[in-house]
Amino acid sequence: MPPLPTRGITIAGFVVVVAAMIVLEILARRPGSRIPTLGQWLGYLMRPRIGRILVLAGWWWLGWHYFAR
Amino acid sequence: MATDPAPARRDHPGRWPWQLARSHRPAYLALLALLGAGLAGYAWVVAAAAPFSRGALIGVLIPGVVLGTIAVARPPERIPPPEQLDMTGMSYWVICLAAFFEWEASAWRDSSWPWHPSFTNLIDPLMEPHLIKSAAILVWLLAGWALVRR
Repeated sequence: MPPLPTRGITIAGFVVVVAAMIVLEILARRPGSRIPTLGQWLGYLMRPRIGRILVLAGWWWLGWHYFAR
Repeated sequence: MATDPAPARRDHPGRWPWQLARSHRPAYLALLALLGAGLAGYAWVVAAAAPFSRGALIGVLIPGVVLGTIAVARPPERIPPPEQLDMTGMSYWVICLAAFFEWEASAWRDSSWPWHPSFTNLIDPLMEPHLIKSAAILVWLLAGWALVRR
């Protein structure tokens, strides 16, 4: 019996989740949508100062993780 | 004698060149083009730095320091955030984010590349071409500016 293609399953999982986020963003931009856009909920999280610091720190960490390592 | 308290800093957003130049459309467009070219050039240079090198670290430190300083000392006019979020609508995002981080955490825990690669394991080879990495860095820079405006 061949081994389970775990690599394929893992990649498919990531593709599904990222595609779902893209679909959500598209749905959120329809007029009258109850789904917030990425910018709206990030803006909401950034209302308090600590949220602003954490979101900006997360942005910087992404840059360090993908471009400096 | 009571005096009016000093207005909060956020009530007086920084005056940025592109805000001043908006009334002169050609100048505004030229300034935008210049900024875009500068950012693209910066991204191109940073993308050339070897991983784990001092140059690569400095390349991501500089935008962090610059944007952090702008956010604290001279914030631009911010896009007003929503007063509240629709919980049902937001729950879809929460489900997606939870699924993503669960998937990533399980890959990290297993640490069994190549059978169960993490998101980073999958992204890194895609960014090997210099042009792709430069574009990704440019998107990261623009996302940082978009966050400062939020």
